[in-house]
Amino acid sequence: MRFIAITSCALMLGAGAPAFAQATLATVQERGMLNCQVGLPTPGFYALADDGTWSGIDVDMCRAVSAAIFGDPDMVEYQSVTSAVRFTSLANSESDMLSRTTTWTAVRDTQLGLDFTAVNFYDGQGFLVPADSGITSALELDGATICVLTGTTTELNLADYFRANGMSFTPVTNENVNVLVETYLGGGCDAYTNDKSGLAARRSAFPDPSAHIILPETVSKEPLGPVVRQGDDAWANLVRWVIYGMMNAEELGVTSENVAEMTASADPNIARLLGTEGNIGEGLGLSADFMVNVLTAVGNYGEVYERHIGVNTPIGIPRDGTLNALWTEGGIMYAPPFR
Amino acid sequence: MTIVFQPKPSRPAPSNVVGPAAWLRQNLFKDIPNTLMTILGLYIAVTVVGWVLNWAVFNAVWDADNRRECLDMVGRSGACWPGVAKWLPNMIYGLYPKDQVWRINLGFLALIVWMIPLWMGGVKSKVAIGLSAVLLYPFLASYFFLGGSKGVVWSALIALGLSGFVWVWATAICERVTGLSVGEWIGRRFAGATEDVKQKRVRQIAALLLFLVCYGVVSQWSLPGVRTQLWGGLFLTLVISGIGITFSLPAGILLALGRRSNMPVISLLSTLFIELFRSVPLITILFMFNTMLPLFLPEGTSVNQLVRAIVAVCLFAAAYMAEVIRGGLQAIPKGQYEAAASLGLGYWQTTTQVIMPQALKIMIPTIVGNFIGLFKDTTLVSIIGLFDLMNMARAVGEDSDWLGLFIEPFFVVSLIYFVFCFAMSSYSIGLERKLSAGRDR
Amino acid sequence: MAITDSRSSTSPPERSGLAKAFFDARIRSIVFQILTLAGVIGFFWWLVDNTITNLAARSLSAGFGFLDVSAGFGIGFTLISYTEGDTYLRVFAVGILNTLLVAVVSIVFATILGLLVGLARLSTNWIISGVARAYVELLRNTPLLLQIIAWYFGVFNLLPRPRDSVVLVEGFMLNNRGFYMPGPVPQDGWGLVVAAFVLALIGAITLYKYEEARRDRTGKSFPAISSGIAMVILVPMVVFLATGSPMEWTMPVLQGFNLVGGISVPPSFCALIVALSAYTSCFIAEIVRSGIQSVGKGQLEAAGALNLPANWTLRRVVLPQAMRVIIPPLISQYLNVTKNSSLAIAIGFPDLVSVWMNTSLNQSGRAIPIVAMTMAFYCIVSLSVSLVMNRYNRSVQLKER
Repeated sequence: MRFIAITSCALMLGAGAPAFAQATLATVQERGMLNCQVGLPTPGFYALADDGTWSGIDVDMCRAVSAAIFGDPDMVEYQSVTSAVRFTSLANSESDMLSRTTTWTAVRDTQLGLDFTAVNFYDGQGFLVPADSGITSALELDGATICVLTGTTTELNLADYFRANGMSFTPVTNENVNVLVETYLGGGCDAYTNDKSGLAARRSAFPDPSAHIILPETVSKEPLGPVVRQGDDAWANLVRWVIYGMMNAEELGVTSENVAEMTASADPNIARLLGTEGNIGEGLGLSADFMVNVLTAVGNYGEVYERHIGVNTPIGIPRDGTLNALWTEGGIMYAPPFR
Repeated sequence: MTIVFQPKPSRPAPSNVVGPAAWLRQNLFKDIPNTLMTILGLYIAVTVVGWVLNWAVFNAVWDADNRRECLDMVGRSGACWPGVAKWLPNMIYGLYPKDQVWRINLGFLALIVWMIPLWMGGVKSKVAIGLSAVLLYPFLASYFFLGGSKGVVWSALIALGLSGFVWVWATAICERVTGLSVGEWIGRRFAGATEDVKQKRVRQIAALLLFLVCYGVVSQWSLPGVRTQLWGGLFLTLVISGIGITFSLPAGILLALGRRSNMPVISLLSTLFIELFRSVPLITILFMFNTMLPLFLPEGTSVNQLVRAIVAVCLFAAAYMAEVIRGGLQAIPKGQYEAAASLGLGYWQTTTQVIMPQALKIMIPTIVGNFIGLFKDTTLVSIIGLFDLMNMARAVGEDSDWLGLFIEPFFVVSLIYFVFCFAMSSYSIGLERKLSAGRDR
Repeated sequence: MAITDSRSSTSPPERSGLAKAFFDARIRSIVFQILTLAGVIGFFWWLVDNTITNLAARSLSAGFGFLDVSAGFGIGFTLISYTEGDTYLRVFAVGILNTLLVAVVSIVFATILGLLVGLARLSTNWIISGVARAYVELLRNTPLLLQIIAWYFGVFNLLPRPRDSVVLVEGFMLNNRGFYMPGPVPQDGWGLVVAAFVLALIGAITLYKYEEARRDRTGKSFPAISSGIAMVILVPMVVFLATGSPMEWTMPVLQGFNLVGGISVPPSFCALIVALSAYTSCFIAEIVRSGIQSVGKGQLEAAGALNLPANWTLRRVVLPQAMRVIIPPLISQYLNVTKNSSLAIAIGFPDLVSVWMNTSLNQSGRAIPIVAMTMAFYCIVSLSVSLVMNRYNRSVQLKER
């Protein structure tokens, strides 16, 4: 019996030992690597090349944070997670940030032990239908069979939209976009719904893209952005301000090409951004010139956008006049000032 | 005077029972129902094969730069192979750095070379060689695949693996050439033919020397580290199922013995473990280990995703193997136990020397069948997001050049699985025949 | 097993104190068991303690409170009525029923198909046994996950659209939205038909039992099975006609996007059923083949010598002995079907794993209760099936004397 008592005491002590959660930044610096979760490969946002490198707008958020901390955008260890396990594994401390087209919602922000940092892409859910179906509005979809990605807000929005409009539908769900697209192309569903960015990209790879139209309705708000674990505000600030810094840089006209010259700029806004005046980096636990590293390595927000999903890429999502344009150009990309 | 019996040559068989026509009549067109079934069977076979060949070969595109070109050429009536060809190295090696891929090849080559003596004639210590492949090879392989900095303990283990390899081939050659085991040979060579104690000492020194030399080699040997996040494709599938198979056999034996034990606590715990893991789908076990294992461990412990999947697969496989072994144990007649007891053998002696060899021998086909099942089941790790063969195939269709290329990679994956499983099952059938040849007389 | 005991009795006599206890097998075994038990309990204690600490630290909740929260997503195929506003608990029920439906239907088809293929493999026709062998080897050696996907895309997704459905028989239609059949709508008096059926069934079973007892006693036989079957079919039919056919059928008709009315199952269900049945039938075929081959030739010759009619040889000689070999592996195949139905997730059929452990877990984020409930369901099903089947198995096993 004594043995049991001792063993269980020892085990309890081991388990009950105060586990101070070390600050994430310190952990990352100690490890020398940023652990960043992305999704299963998706073009434009987190694409996987056959040489094993990741790229995309969400991947660049990780690279920017890595550049801010280490001065090198490639000190990132990518983990690819399915949508089903993304929150649990982030909450389980398996990574430092989750950058994976994740919609910011109240429940996720408040009940899953997560913190959303900033929005790096505004999306909205739409429907793709065959052009010859004669459907011109989502309101004509009553009774339709609809292909939808499971485990996402898309699935909930779809249900909400049909309930709100008193319509019925039959969902065909899967967690693999290609399965849904194949089903849709084979006629297994009347419409395919997803974020509009995704719809356009997928349609471009159809045998005959012009035979499919995206319906005008946008049925949901989808603010997408990187997520961190709740409880480390300093780390959340760091991720948030790296992203805001990239947006500010675009607003101020600082790009990866001219950042070296811009350090000599007389504009106090630019000087503060690049750390030649003041020391915003200090409050984040970074060097004063962390944005110089970010901008040199990754570029400003506009550059990232155009590089991965802009009109000159296969994804081809226009930016002008959409929500994703800067606030000075009619969009809602509005970063708080860097001061 | 001797009379030699001289048989008359037998007369040729009547013409209606030999020759192709007779074979056809006998086997295919014996009567009307048989003829109808033959035609139906032929029809099914020809349609299916024709349909697949049309898509995969005759209508397929073999040269294109992206999927759009394929679609413009044949639409969806034929396969688009260039995308799969471009990604084939990834489907085999995952995201492993291209300049390090030789390590995987060499690692698996080492395993094959390690096992060659098992099929060589004149080699006696086959059991020991087989065991060494299971117990020592993994240490060697771990460094091939992982690389990076190695501490003293790991270095020692790798050295053990390396010395195992040297020992296997020394044994194989020695036994083939001299008919003596390598230990005996060294003993006789350096200590004369008679002195037992001295021979033993010489053998020990030789083993120690071998280990030290290997340790020296290992400590000089350095490979850059490759993180497990980059592992993938067929390589990862083989690693997971290999570890699962290796672990499941000993663990299954222990569990099966535990379940049949006459200690109530042990038998109850083993039964609970076996029934729990056998009654839920592997998918749920993988899910649980993937999402919940970090919750079970003290805060701050991080367990690699691959390790979690491997642990789940191992426990699952062990529970299944335990039931197979138990089946084998049950088939051993009671008389064997009684005979062993009457010779004064203890529990472990009875088990290891009398019961297990017989039980394992009868269950070999089932055990191999279980291995095949495990190999196929590893496809499920794709569902928790590991880049095994399945998920690597899925990644092809997400490459922006090959967006939507989905069926073709899956076709290739099916072929790969089929080749592996069919090889294993044919081998098992062969083994079954060989083993039952001794019994069915 | 009496090995340890016999050993302990021969152990050397003169040892004292601790050493004596150490060499006493009984004490050793008790100590060993206590240690193991303590270790296991300590281990679980440690796990639970960690979990509680971690949950608190991560502000996660492990409670079941979310079960009566509205789920908010649609489900493509449900056996009970379900709307997007229903609770998570109802989602769980929907998932369970769908899993059970897939399992039961697949088991039925797999058994029939397996029997046919098993017999085909024993056929003397070279083509037939060849095709059967190719079928078995091909399906047995590829992962089920791939097969499900292949059936889905290779067959069911290629069917015509609802407008040009394939009409199999009047009212039975197949298209890429699923399989449609007429749905029964019971009218007044249907209860009588059901009652008649139940009575006839009880009667048939009683008849069979009586016939068995009488045969054992007197050796006289009587075609109890065929007359029983006739009874079960004819009696309800007579009642059905007498009460004026109290059953109407709704036919699936094209309306809007899809066929409406009748009973329908989605293509993912069809693909899952076909894949599961085909895959499992390979294993069942092998089981049936080995079972039949296990019956000794001498048994058949003996039956022939007794001049038993062919169906008697099959029913009274071959099957009872073959069954003994067939039943245990068959049970585990049936359980495998239930577990394998969880692969429905690959093609999005809303079974328990897909709709509960994937979608619900993801939408609600409650990992622990959801995974626990899922595992509990599978455990209960598996354990109860093996309990029943093991009892049956014990009753047909050879009694060693």
